[in-house]
Amino acid sequence: MANDALIEFKGVTVAYWQNNMGVFSIKDLITHRKNPFTTKTILHDISFEVKRGECMGVLGRNGSGKSTLLRAIAGVVKPQVGSIHINGSIAPILAIGAGLETELTGYENIELLLSLYGKPRKDVDAIKSIKDFSGLSDDVLRTPTKTYSSGMLARLTFSISVANDSDILIIDEVLAVGDQGFQHKCMDKIYQVKKEGKTILFVSHFPEDVKKLCDTAILLDGGVITHRGGAPEICDLYQKLF
Amino acid sequence: MLYLLIIIVVFKSQSNIDNYVLYATSGLIFWIFFANVTNQSIASIINSSGIIKALNVPTVFFPLSEMISELFNFILTLFVFAIAMHWFGIQYSFNLLTIIPITILFAVFTFGITLIFCSLNVFFRDVGILWTTIQPAIFYLTPIPYPEKVLTDRYPLVVQLNPIYYFIKLEREVIYKGVFPSGELWLQCTVLATGMLCIGYFIFSRLKNQFISSL
Ligand SMILES: Nc1ncnc2c1ncn2[C@@H]1O[C@H](COP(=O)(O)OP(=O)(O)OP(=O)(O)O)[C@@H](O)[C@H]1O
Ligand SMILES: [Mg+2]
Repeated sequence: MANDALIEFKGVTVAYWQNNMGVFSIKDLITHRKNPFTTKTILHDISFEVKRGECMGVLGRNGSGKSTLLRAIAGVVKPQVGSIHINGSIAPILAIGAGLETELTGYENIELLLSLYGKPRKDVDAIKSIKDFSGLSDDVLRTPTKTYSSGMLARLTFSISVANDSDILIIDEVLAVGDQGFQHKCMDKIYQVKKEGKTILFVSHFPEDVKKLCDTAILLDGGVITHRGGAPEICDLYQKLF
Repeated sequence: MLYLLIIIVVFKSQSNIDNYVLYATSGLIFWIFFANVTNQSIASIINSSGIIKALNVPTVFFPLSEMISELFNFILTLFVFAIAMHWFGIQYSFNLLTIIPITILFAVFTFGITLIFCSLNVFFRDVGILWTTIQPAIFYLTPIPYPEKVLTDRYPLVVQLNPIYYFIKLEREVIYKGVFPSGELWLQCTVLATGMLCIGYFIFSRLKNQFISSL
């Protein structure tokens, strides 16, 4: 079972409903009197496979659809066309502005996410290990996460995501906001997760990181995969884009 | 809550309904349940945007959990109510047990409406505000603190087209009159509840895959 496809995309097309007429309320809708939504296709006919234990980098320009691709893998967006097969459990996406409820405190967020994993809410060990890894103080964890700095948010999300033992870890550019110490700690942790044979999907705008960490990579451009191959080649191609 | 008490006191002196307190409060507790569930869950999807963006959880879970916690509150209220109404002329009999299926029907109906509201609210953020504004109007158009006759005599359509009225009527047959409701009324309420749930679920499932694009 070591080499089966863990993630399999077949001709996946993902579209968002784009509301570009500024109609965000019933009031606007009544004055506007037209359907404000247009369907905007983000990913066109994407097919690829990721094997168990593979660590795949995702590179591409801003707006090329990297985050959308990761969301599709996590099942957070559903494909309009095509099929996605995932043979494992997925940790919450690590991305800025995702995973945490800003109105809740750090502790409440931890409990909420633990309970969504079917673990006991008050799993003291789990909470403690998350707290220790994040390096956030008790005081901080008792305030709503909307008051956190972006680095603190990244710490907390990262700690929660790696605390559960799911098969797939999805990282979308969150490490960039952590300070040096935390970045090292995260990288160490990611290597450790990789050694455990888990699958990692890694979005970054730093080709060096991708080269170091990933075995393979894909290059996205305008919602299509233009290249798929070993991480070093793709990183070189990525650098040639600019 | 306070203003509801005032209503009861004001209407009590004017109406010539027997057991007025029982009549009004039995309707009120059901209305309050309805109002609480809709108000609590209307923003449930928006308020969970962080999680919905990060994790593949069934989104229906969010309004459903609000619903269930309100249902627990409501069951407690029913017990307290049943005891307190001892002094206001409630008739204890086995007929009272039909309050269980009635509550289930009403909860199903309420949940159907909730699904519509909370999913629309993702795309049009003033649905919640609009609902808070029109809610009092619906309350006063439902014969809860005053006798049905006030409306049925002059504007029968207003009550006939108000789905909540049927549930209030059903519940009053049991609590207020102490009789077993007629088959026709049961049928009307069952159709309303399942119909509303189907409509709500239909709208919700058409919209749920695109919540993410507006969160
Ligand atoms: N809710 C939405 N509604 C409409 N279009 C959207 C929505 N979210 C994203 N898009 C569009 O989808 C495209 C891809 O976005 P995505 O976030 O996947 O880019 P990305 O590759 O992650 O970019 P970045 O490097 O900046 O993170 C963009 O063109 C963006 O405009
Ligand atoms: Mg992105």
